[in-house]
Amino acid sequence: MNAIFTVIFIISLICLCFIAPDKLLATLLGGAENAVKTSLTLFCIYAVWMGLSRLAEKSGLSKNAAKAIKPLSKKLFKTENQAAQENIAMNISCNLLGIGGAATPYAVKAIGELEKDGNAYAQKLLFIINATSIQLLPTTVIALRASAGSAAAFDIFLPSLICTVISTGLAVTLYILSNKLKGTRRRSAKRAK
Amino acid sequence: MKIAAYIIPAVFILVFIFAAIKKVKIYDEFSKGIAEAVKFTISLLPCLAAIFMMCAVFETSGLSALMTKALSPVFGALGIPKELTKLVLIKPFSGSGSLAYLNEIIESYGADSYITRCACVCYGSSETVFYISAVYFAGTKMKKLGGAIVIVLISTLISTIIACLLCRIM
Repeated sequence: MNAIFTVIFIISLICLCFIAPDKLLATLLGGAENAVKTSLTLFCIYAVWMGLSRLAEKSGLSKNAAKAIKPLSKKLFKTENQAAQENIAMNISCNLLGIGGAATPYAVKAIGELEKDGNAYAQKLLFIINATSIQLLPTTVIALRASAGSAAAFDIFLPSLICTVISTGLAVTLYILSNKLKGTRRRSAKRAK
Repeated sequence: MKIAAYIIPAVFILVFIFAAIKKVKIYDEFSKGIAEAVKFTISLLPCLAAIFMMCAVFETSGLSALMTKALSPVFGALGIPKELTKLVLIKPFSGSGSLAYLNEIIESYGADSYITRCACVCYGSSETVFYISAVYFAGTKMKKLGGAIVIVLISTLISTIIACLLCRIM
């Protein structure tokens, strides 16, 4: 993230110098203002969903969800941490239902739990699954098209589903493969020594 | 559409009734959850501000327009219509920005055109990668995330290519 941030920022700054150097400060302030506005919106979303998720947690509902995906979380995420499993389970269920706002706090909690175990592998895997979007029903887009007067707003459902399955599946496979590759390289390096 | 509208109320009813049966102090715990949300939002703000500043500079510097122009032929060769280049480029950075642009596409090309359907599938099957990475790892010591981001971007690009193909035949 540091490298990406630095590169994009420096190149943008140089370009800006040529086009409109007087606009830099206004642009940065605008960005910060936008961040404050967004975080207010986000707070509203999180207040609703984290309130609800606390109820789900206290009533033992998250535990049931965790049990349901336990074989998967054990094999894929390689974690025994109960709290992390619960949060991962809820994150994935919310994603599938298309409630992205509710999924984020769970992911952040799960990553916090995994941090305690030093399980960077699972942290990155969870990030990859979320960043490639797993959604059964793209509600926002369907609503947008329907309001624009589409004759068949639902006809993008199947292509969307196929694409989201492909992108997530591909990313997870690539990640696991690259991890295995690193593992074998490390082992052979040790043997060489 | 109608079924989708019932998902969220159903989730709420399920959780509230289940919590009531288990004798959870609903008001107390709900408020405590919101207290967590307050802390969480505040912890996000520094990262959000930094990322948004980067996005703002990227946009006004003309770099994003330049990249759109430069990448259009490349994307075209991969089967992605040139009208979608900007959408594909913006999506990893900004959810609201790309949604605004998606709206523009729907208005200018019509709700049932090939371009619009493509745009909708691309938008629906991808995520705001940089924003998510900032939010998820705000409180951690994670340093080497570059590889994971590259994997996500490659997968997203490939699924975009497939999306454009699928919209042609389906």
